[in-house]
Amino acid sequence: MTVSGTVTRVGPRAAGESPRPQGPVRVAVVGLGRAGLAHATLLSAVPDCEIVALVDRRGEARARLRGLGYRAHAFGRVKKMLAVAKPQAVFVCGPQHERAAVAREALEAGAAVLVEHPFGVTLEQAEAVAAAGAERILASACALAFEPVFRRAHDLLEANLLGAVRQARSSMFVSRVFDARHPVFLEAGPVAGGVLAQVASELLFLLLWYLGLPVEVRATSQRIYGGLEDELHAMMKLANGTEMGLDCSWSVPGYPQPATVIELEGENGKLLVSDDGIEAELTQPRAGLAAGHTRIRSAELPHPAAFDWGGEAMYLMDAAFLAWATGGPAPPNRGSFAIEVHRVMDALYRSARAAGEPQAVTR
Amino acid sequence: MSRKPLEPPRLLLSAASLTNGRRVPRDRMIEVAERYREPESLAVTLSKALDAGAEGVLATPSPALDAALDELDRTIPIYAVLPDPDAQGRYDLQAGRLDPLEGTPGPAGLGARMARSWTRLTRPWPLMRRDFGVLVRMALEARVAAIPRRALRGVVIAAGITDLALAGRHRRFFEKLTRFIRGRFRARAAFETLNLGTLLACLREWEVRPDFVVGPVNPRGLMMKPGLAETLDEMAKSQVPVVASQLRATGLCTLDEGARFALEHGALGLAPDLAEMDDVGAELARIRGWREAKVPPRLEGAKRA
Repeated sequence: MTVSGTVTRVGPRAAGESPRPQGPVRVAVVGLGRAGLAHATLLSAVPDCEIVALVDRRGEARARLRGLGYRAHAFGRVKKMLAVAKPQAVFVCGPQHERAAVAREALEAGAAVLVEHPFGVTLEQAEAVAAAGAERILASACALAFEPVFRRAHDLLEANLLGAVRQARSSMFVSRVFDARHPVFLEAGPVAGGVLAQVASELLFLLLWYLGLPVEVRATSQRIYGGLEDELHAMMKLANGTEMGLDCSWSVPGYPQPATVIELEGENGKLLVSDDGIEAELTQPRAGLAAGHTRIRSAELPHPAAFDWGGEAMYLMDAAFLAWATGGPAPPNRGSFAIEVHRVMDALYRSARAAGEPQAVTR
Repeated sequence: MSRKPLEPPRLLLSAASLTNGRRVPRDRMIEVAERYREPESLAVTLSKALDAGAEGVLATPSPALDAALDELDRTIPIYAVLPDPDAQGRYDLQAGRLDPLEGTPGPAGLGARMARSWTRLTRPWPLMRRDFGVLVRMALEARVAAIPRRALRGVVIAAGITDLALAGRHRRFFEKLTRFIRGRFRARAAFETLNLGTLLACLREWEVRPDFVVGPVNPRGLMMKPGLAETLDEMAKSQVPVVASQLRATGLCTLDEGARFALEHGALGLAPDLAEMDDVGAELARIRGWREAKVPPRLEGAKRA
């Protein structure tokens, strides 16, 4: 029998530009629900990555991962796993109210930590995690920042494509919640919020990554089905006066797949970024784009992930994090930036609770 | 009289875009949904596809598809892409949910319920261990029973499920499901994947031979994992027939370019999607003649009596 040259237990060869660990890395996944399963699926294809431990209190969850073929040691408690398996990197994917404590425990044990977003139910919890990770390797999940199309838009803006940006509008819609009995309302513990915290925080991350941190925000929200906001409308003001708008909803029909759109207007023209591509309308040629209209379709950009499960971005995020954990460059979703996003989110929720009163963003 | 060998399909009409918009740009997804809103419209397209040489429809059974099939007085061969759990991936908002198959419709009819009960009764140990293969088998028993036996030509394990088992390097999943689908449903057993190169390499290494696999093949290398070169290399070596999908790379190339590329690089069959064609009948008719007349020697083992 001929054994494949491209596929081994440690994973297939990655395509050209895909990030990868700088050397072998031992990884644990904590929380084996959908999010943990997604990370385990993708990590099993990252070269040089070995999943050494899977953790969940629920025996049922551990059994299901074994039933999928995973042979890594399964633990019921994080503390024991950290002591026995000694992973170099830990992916924290459990329920929201457990993430902060698990992340701190793993950081204190010396592991690099990637926490699913949001990484604290309250800002205080998130600040405590960020403080514990200040001198260590801490990242928060934001797969959207690794979508090739949104990454390319960032590179173009960094190359000063638009010059000074005057105005930004953005939206993120997905058709998910149309019922007060939706499981999102039945979490076992407290949660950070509704559509903003659980879906559109990735869009918020992108806006802040593209344009910088706002000094003041205002927001209004609507609860349609339950105790969490189903829709939120926000305006954010940067120190230079630029206004950024954000609309999000998980209760709008017609979006079986999430749709993200960012429109920017600057002194050199306009830029529209969506899941499907980038459209620029420029006055002057800049950043490699000609004057006039340019369209770059998402499919035209390199898609270097070595494994696809639910898209390209999550693989790239996990691989980039492991590259950082093994001595490579820091990815955009590092903890020191993610906590800034959390602070803005907290200010938006404060404003929404105060019926749209402007709120300062804490630093 | 000897029976004609059961060969892998050479030309299928894929209707994946009706149920899975992720692989189609949003404006095209809306256009396709609008075009096939009426069952009559989908029925006419399916009928034209068969007249143009398609051997069947590669699709997840859905109310829209059922309504279209009901409109026709001819049998449309179905290659059913199953199981079909709820939307997966990011933003599913149920991060703690354990069962990747949750949302799969339950058994319809007495036969399906009995088959499922029999599996529960005869496979207590794999079920207790939550063996993914047995769980998928039960989901198939529930869903396939609703498809008329005369229409069912193949059961294709959906990519979201195949790739989970592939990531876990779950050899027995592929081995046992292949045997099960052939034995229980008397249909071709196939796997859809978004990681074609990786799946072909594993099947070769494990010496597992389903009737065919469905995966993206196009000249741009879009969605060909782990990469274009590795996937083409595996296709050239594979003893499992490949039915190529995503031929137009979401519109970056023409159907002709995609089809030629796939066939030149070892794909045995083609499965262009509704969203990849404006005139389904004419475009399928144009590429039907490009298929190899005979199964190449490398794939002779794929014929089953």
